Amino acid sequence: MIAGLNTSYLAKLPAGLKFGALLIVSIGLYLIGSWQILSVLLILSVIVLLSARVNLRQLRMPLVTLLLILGIVFVSLGIQTTWDSALVSVLRLLTMCMFAYAVSLTTTFDAMLELFQQVASPLRHVGANPAQISLGLSLAIRFIPELKRVYLEVREAQHARGLANNPLAVAVPLVIRSLRIAEDTAEALEARGYDSAEHSN
Amino acid sequence: MATATTSQTRNTVYVAIFAAMIAAMGLVPPIVIGIVPVPITLQTLGVMLAGALLGPVRGMLSSLIVVVLALAGLPLLAGGRGGLAVLLGPTGGYLLGWIFGSLVIGALFKFWVLRQKSQTGRMITGLVSVIIGGIGVIYLFGIPWTAAVTGLDLGTSAVGAIAFLPGDLIKAVVTALVAVTVHRSYRALMS
Repeated sequence: MIAGLNTSYLAKLPAGLKFGALLIVSIGLYLIGSWQILSVLLILSVIVLLSARVNLRQLRMPLVTLLLILGIVFVSLGIQTTWDSALVSVLRLLTMCMFAYAVSLTTTFDAMLELFQQVASPLRHVGANPAQISLGLSLAIRFIPELKRVYLEVREAQHARGLANNPLAVAVPLVIRSLRIAEDTAEALEARGYDSAEHSN
Repeated sequence: MATATTSQTRNTVYVAIFAAMIAAMGLVPPIVIGIVPVPITLQTLGVMLAGALLGPVRGMLSSLIVVVLALAGLPLLAGGRGGLAVLLGPTGGYLLGWIFGSLVIGALFKFWVLRQKSQTGRMITGLVSVIIGGIGVIYLFGIPWTAAVTGLDLGTSAVGAIAFLPGDLIKAVVTALVAVTVHRSYRALMS
């Protein structure tokens, strides 16, 4: 779901603007109760999505899952309340998700992360250290592939014992190795005399 | 600005590694346990473990990092999902539930479970804590959010969540076992 190399007009808008607009639109959608208006807005959202030349292939899986869930919601609501309200709910959710996809697929990961950190920056007045937040996010990203590798290795090793599908047999080695990695990394950072205060802006 | 203490960097590393672990659990194929009909991912297990092993603040931050990274666009949630649509959709509440779930599990472990003297006492209180925080709290955020977003009533939304209950109970047992065992070897993990 990463906004790859989108170069459309939406990609040029600042992330904060798109995010804020999305929130306002989402709230607004909940104030609308007519399926006719929502249908129009849905078409509008699809137009926005298509005009932004997003990578539609990235939407295939999420869209399929979403439509499946919405199908169940539609039937459940229709049976329990009215088909009109079921239609309203499903159209609203679909429209909201379309706009959300439009934002997510036209905003780079770095831009979104920076936006979140900007939003969180007032927290430094209550003691949060922005440099530590940056460090934490960077380290987490950096270690995801490694921990995925550890997980797969553990599963493979347990597979040899016929325990690949045993959550306990997988969790214990995974946790132990993760703790070891954490200790080693923390030691390495400390040995370098890493002081995150120097790196703060 | 005050100098960051070395223990602060150390804590940040622990938070980040556990966040990476939770994220990695969403990136690998789910596990098929014989008793449960649905393949389960271990991601919620990771969320529970973060709270049980790192405590309330660090555990919560681990889950928070995963949610932030996923919302920013990384396909870290089970099924390769990510982006803002997850938050706005029917399952958005569970993301918030993770954050508070880790917090509650961590608090219960720090102030209740780890104060037990016997391993058995810890196992029992540990299991109760993980069920309260890992199932109770998470569903408490997830189910009403689903109801609010879709218009379904709470009962139907709850029924939708029931399918995950057997898998989550297994994860809760595993978390309690793993956490209590690890705490015995790593006594300084949660001072």
